[in-house]
Amino acid sequence: MSMLKIDNLHVRAGDKQVLHGVSLEVGAGEVHAIMGPNGSGKSTLVQVLAGREGYDVTAGSVSYQGRDLLALPPEARAREGVFLAFQYPVEIPGVNNVYLLKAGLNALRQHRGLPELDAFEFLSLVREKMKLMHMDESFLNRGVNEGFSGGEKKRNEILQMSVLEPALALLDETDSGLDIDALRVVANGVNSLRRQDRAIVMVTHYQRLLDYIEPDRVHVLSGGRILKSGDKSLALELEKRGYDWVKQEAAAA
Amino acid sequence: MSVMTLQESRPAGERYRAEFDARWSASDALVELRRAALERFVAAGFPTQRQEDWKYTNLRRLEARTFAPATSTAVALDALEQHWIANAGIRIVLVNGHWMPALSSVGAQLPGMTLLTLKQWSEHEPAAVAAFIAQTSRAQPSALEDLNLAFFEDGVVLDLTAGASPDQPIYIVHQWSDAAAQLMSSPRVVVRAAANSRCTVIEHFIGSTASECFTNAVAEIEVGTGAKVEHYRIQQESTRAFHIGHVNVRVQQDGRYASHDIALGASLARLNLGTVLQGPGAHVDLHGLLAPLATQHLDSHTTIDHAAAHTSSDENYRGIAGERGRGIFNGKVIVRPDAQKTDARQSSRNLLLAPGAEIDTKPELEIYANDVKCSHGATTGQLDGTALFYLRSRGLDETAARALLIRAFAESVVSSVGPPAVRSHLEKLLDERYGKSS
Repeated sequence: MSMLKIDNLHVRAGDKQVLHGVSLEVGAGEVHAIMGPNGSGKSTLVQVLAGREGYDVTAGSVSYQGRDLLALPPEARAREGVFLAFQYPVEIPGVNNVYLLKAGLNALRQHRGLPELDAFEFLSLVREKMKLMHMDESFLNRGVNEGFSGGEKKRNEILQMSVLEPALALLDETDSGLDIDALRVVANGVNSLRRQDRAIVMVTHYQRLLDYIEPDRVHVLSGGRILKSGDKSLALELEKRGYDWVKQEAAAA
Repeated sequence: MSVMTLQESRPAGERYRAEFDARWSASDALVELRRAALERFVAAGFPTQRQEDWKYTNLRRLEARTFAPATSTAVALDALEQHWIANAGIRIVLVNGHWMPALSSVGAQLPGMTLLTLKQWSEHEPAAVAAFIAQTSRAQPSALEDLNLAFFEDGVVLDLTAGASPDQPIYIVHQWSDAAAQLMSSPRVVVRAAANSRCTVIEHFIGSTASECFTNAVAEIEVGTGAKVEHYRIQQESTRAFHIGHVNVRVQQDGRYASHDIALGASLARLNLGTVLQGPGAHVDLHGLLAPLATQHLDSHTTIDHAAAHTSSDENYRGIAGERGRGIFNGKVIVRPDAQKTDARQSSRNLLLAPGAEIDTKPELEIYANDVKCSHGATTGQLDGTALFYLRSRGLDETAARALLIRAFAESVVSSVGPPAVRSHLEKLLDERYGKSS
């Protein structure tokens, strides 16, 4: 079943055309990696999918579970099961981490006609997920990402993801800024969320993450276009040969 | 427009003199003190924007109107009660500036503490009250403090003996009756905390009258050696009210004073909060929240005068201006030549919620000693679009996300509020103002 179908997506940021016709289809249960050099439009793509303002979709469409994703405000996308793990998670002093988790989860549950979790049910759920992410409970009562290290912020993103249990998870450079131990923890967290009814799209700069989270498909995004797609062996080839050959190949085609 | 609001051609000073003459004819010491204050006020007039301290706040609207000194009126309990903070402490209710014993806590006297009303005292011993007022007032009162001195009729005197520590806050309600119109209220609160005593005083200014009224309130606070006073000032006047507040604080050696200046109400409000740290080890914490909406103009001018060595201060003001609201924060810090080892910190952070909103913030440092630590910082910005998106991407709708960020911005002031009843009252007010965050 198709979870996400991006068709000829053109996106402009200010007066700069960032995406020049991206097409991509992700099925339920699949993990896709989008790789590419800096400035290729990878982050723009996932931000547009999550509903970030400030981008103009000038052509193309995105359908998510058969619905027009671009017509929904960000909160509706979240409630329908789209989750973006931020490249730079935002620090929000004054808002408790646990408060945000609970408010988010209850907004989702309410949208699905489920009762809110009581404090006890909620805490036992969060504690279980925190163990998985090797996070101390003291994180719960700190401000959202406030004073967190880079690794802690990324773990916190995956914690949120594991609590919100999205159908479509978008991971924006979740591996950046992580040391090898933190990378393992984060990758384990993501792997534990792989399911037949869930799709994961990872944006990454390096093949390293793919050693831990094995993708079904790998796409090369460059200059706002997907130049090449393949299986996980493509990532290894990119690691070895860089991106230039893909660009040349595409230019020649 | 009602007849009452027609502007008169006589100068304001003459009009207030006429009100004065109609009210006081005796010639006891207290009336003499009042008359001297009135004459100083008439000579000085209302402050104008030509004065540096009043640069951002124009009082012409206030000056143009005539407000009659409010007299004591009987009012029904249930009309007023709904606005009080429940279980805030020992309650003293002043309606239109007059103490209403029937509305106040019964048997309010606690060990080591004396509470009395200025009116009863001045009826019996005007000379003693005159001496007391002269002794507890600032040496050089401002014009509007003089206006209060000329017209005050009632207020609260709270005395704490050495070491006294009442187990409840003193909750002073300054309330307008619903029918009040074109009235002026001039309450005075005097707190004298003797050595090593401690207390919490909550002043709550409320009114739901739809008419214009003018509150001109004075508080004089003496914090003795090693004493500790927590002072809450929650200004929630009706949106057509004028509110001028004067708080003068003197802190002795090792004394601590904390102020929580919460400005939410009134059409035009100005607080002059002055603290003098008179002995080594004295410390003040000034927390403030200015939250103008609609066309409200809310102005807090604070002064921290480090007059002794080894004194410290920490000031944290937050401004949140929405719609066409305007906030003003001016934080003056003076470090006297002998006040070495002073440690003064000031932070003013401001949030603009709409293009028409405005906040003017100004630190004013006068440092005459050389071995001191003084820091200040001021920022003004809008809600962070990335943070807003982050919250929405977790499923919170836009209104809830905005409300949550606004509450987060105010959190450092909200969390400084100790008494649970006051804190939940403030949280409720913020929820009403900006939408519920949950």
